[in-house]
Amino acid sequence: MRYFTVRFLQMIFAIWAVATLVFLFLQLTGDPMELLAPEDMSEAQVAELRHAYGLDRPLHIRYLIYMENLLKGDLGISWTSGEPALKLLAERFPATLKLVLTALGIAIVLGLPAGVWAAMRSDTWVDRSLRFFSVLGISAPTFWIGIMLILIFSVTLGWLPSAGAESWRHYILPGLTLSFYRIALFLRMIRSTMLDVLSQDYVRTARAKGLPERIVVYKHALRNALIPFVTLVGLQFGQLMAGAVVTEWIFAWPGMNRLALNALFTEDRPVILAFVVLTAVIFAAVNFVVDLLYGWIDPRVRYA
Amino acid sequence: MRRWLAALLLISTLGFAEKTFVVAYQGGAVTLDPHMRNETTTLAWQHHLFETPFFFNRDGKVVPVLAEKIELVDENTWKLHLKKGIKFHDGSEMTAEDVAFSILRAATHKKSQMKGYVGKISETQVLDRYTVLIKTKVPDPLLPAHLDHAAIIPKAYLEKVGEEGFNKHPIGTGPYKFVSWLNGDHLNLEAFDGYWGKKPAFTKVKLVNIPNGATRVAALLSGEVQIAEKVLPQDFPRVERSGVARVEQTPGVRVIYVALDYWREYGSEGLPKGAKNPFLDPKARKAIYMAIDEDAIVKRIMGGAATVAPQFLAPIHEGYNPKIKRFPYDPKAARKILEDLGYGDTDGDGWLELPTKDGNRVPFALRVDAPNDRYLNDAQIAQALANMLRKIGIKASVNAVPKKVFFPNMTKGHFTMYMAGWGSMDSINTLLSMFHSKDPSGLYGRFNREHYKNPEVDRLIEEAAKTFDKAKREELLKKAMYIAMVEDVAYIPLHYENVIAGVRKGIRFTPRPDEYLHAFEAEKE
Repeated sequence: MRYFTVRFLQMIFAIWAVATLVFLFLQLTGDPMELLAPEDMSEAQVAELRHAYGLDRPLHIRYLIYMENLLKGDLGISWTSGEPALKLLAERFPATLKLVLTALGIAIVLGLPAGVWAAMRSDTWVDRSLRFFSVLGISAPTFWIGIMLILIFSVTLGWLPSAGAESWRHYILPGLTLSFYRIALFLRMIRSTMLDVLSQDYVRTARAKGLPERIVVYKHALRNALIPFVTLVGLQFGQLMAGAVVTEWIFAWPGMNRLALNALFTEDRPVILAFVVLTAVIFAAVNFVVDLLYGWIDPRVRYA
Repeated sequence: MRRWLAALLLISTLGFAEKTFVVAYQGGAVTLDPHMRNETTTLAWQHHLFETPFFFNRDGKVVPVLAEKIELVDENTWKLHLKKGIKFHDGSEMTAEDVAFSILRAATHKKSQMKGYVGKISETQVLDRYTVLIKTKVPDPLLPAHLDHAAIIPKAYLEKVGEEGFNKHPIGTGPYKFVSWLNGDHLNLEAFDGYWGKKPAFTKVKLVNIPNGATRVAALLSGEVQIAEKVLPQDFPRVERSGVARVEQTPGVRVIYVALDYWREYGSEGLPKGAKNPFLDPKARKAIYMAIDEDAIVKRIMGGAATVAPQFLAPIHEGYNPKIKRFPYDPKAARKILEDLGYGDTDGDGWLELPTKDGNRVPFALRVDAPNDRYLNDAQIAQALANMLRKIGIKASVNAVPKKVFFPNMTKGHFTMYMAGWGSMDSINTLLSMFHSKDPSGLYGRFNREHYKNPEVDRLIEEAAKTFDKAKREELLKKAMYIAMVEDVAYIPLHYENVIAGVRKGIRFTPRPDEYLHAFEAEKE
């Protein structure tokens, strides 16, 4: 219980620190009115607008107001759209979540068995070709993969749509684009941990007992290889939720990463801040869930 | 198995048959409240829902839309007569109440971004059901044109549902009514049966934001969208070769120009330390002008997606002076001018030289500042400019940075020579902001970052800004432009960016010079 209280307080501190740092960093980018106010407004009219957004107040006052609102769960009003920043993000959260889950799903379904396969056939042509593929997957830039998939499947073959998120068919190309790197990553990770685990004494014992190879691999070896894998998947989830920027951009995905990128371009600071705070919360929550999963996979963690 | 999969995908494609007319933009509207955001894409999307008393047509003329006509009562008072029988999307009739309310809201709402246009309006009065009296704080001869930014919304409805409710379901008088949207991403529209004007050709329309140029073109070629704006020049051949779509271009009103430090004799920040700034003299400015091969820029860098600009204003602008021609491209003459001014190469290293304050001479080095994410191929243009300057003996280098860094730095004066763009339909605004000398109140010369100053030009602009007679006003503007562009070489015009759209076969559409893309201006072929 005490452990959870400490973890919870740490989480709150981290979110506060992130919010404060980003708030301060944004001040360094200069006067937001440079980009926010239309070119055809006079200096006096820009001053009025600055006042309307409360930007004529001193920095520490603005910071205190921001923190007070944050405590109340109010993440501010978007400067460009006049709508609550949290509402704008909430509208787009499901699209990002679904895309990330699709990508991780594809990556797990393909990467995990491929990794096991490669480990079991280590140093055969299977292993070598899978490793070749994984190098390709890790080094190919997302941008290039996305454009190639569009050119092949949308333009040339005309099978799949390239932009938007209206039907399940819209998920295929961005999902694949985003999963490419993760398939390779998962494959390499599972392969190397499996190789490591397969050389352990308890695996040798299991084999010596005469257990079928299937049981040895899936029950004795894979179960142990899964612990670091779950951590990796968790981290990838958090990273994708706030890092699917390029993919959302290319496929015109109505997700929150694209919203945040646009906010950066237009100096819409309330939206940038809300995005950062929200992703900090997601990261913290995912870490929490991963900790719980450990206990489920590895009983030793439960009693420790 | 693979064939089955292909067949399955194909069938689902057919099931997705094109019923909705889809237009792809590079951005998306961030609000559907028509007075809160003055930015081209946001306004273009809103124009489907809302209309204004007056609007610019494709030739740059101001034409009545919701207005029948407007009369000048005295310098500060106008009488606006409205068309009768115009309906809002909820079926209620648009009356003077709505118009008086909307114009005042655009002029005075604390977060209104339309004040640059209608901010001079102080009061509106309902005279009768179809007449509104408009009062201004100071005379504004261009008031009818400025009303193009005062969208009319139903007063009773807004008061009933509040601003939040209005944003959720906006209502206007436009050719399309609101169906649904995702802020910044897409807007679904349906043709409004009770529309007073010409019925649009397509009943169901979807406006979408596809930010990436390659995806926009892909969506056009695969048939997902019927019109895609801002097709990049490198994609022109692919579109034209496809057989399913084509590229349509119109010269736009955005001019790409070069500005040169007009105020510091020493300490200009793009020159070697201590060097004298040669650009206080119009002759040196002219030399830079003549060193630039603009035809080559349009052809090689812009891929034909631009039109050579002889001056700062575009041909459809009020005050465009056809007598102003480009100075000829002549690098030899350009170098000669600089040599005659005393900047010649004395040490024989090939570079022209600048005198310093302490009596030495240093090589004529010059930094060309430019944004790299604001205009079509901006960084490449800056590079070409530098190369052309090097040909006449100026050791030019390029500093191309993101617009977020660029514009604040230029405003603070950290430059000797910079390249940027300017686009506005309103000539008076252009001249007041770019050509009038800076004044401390910030009223004039707000974007005159190079501190160009000529009292005669100031006088002509101020005079024009308060002249109600269109012909007289035009003469004053033309005169000011002649002095500024030809005698003073206040700026070096490069080109007008073309407005570009990719259009599917079977659809008739050409872009507007003001960059607003409207689905209701597309026709079936």
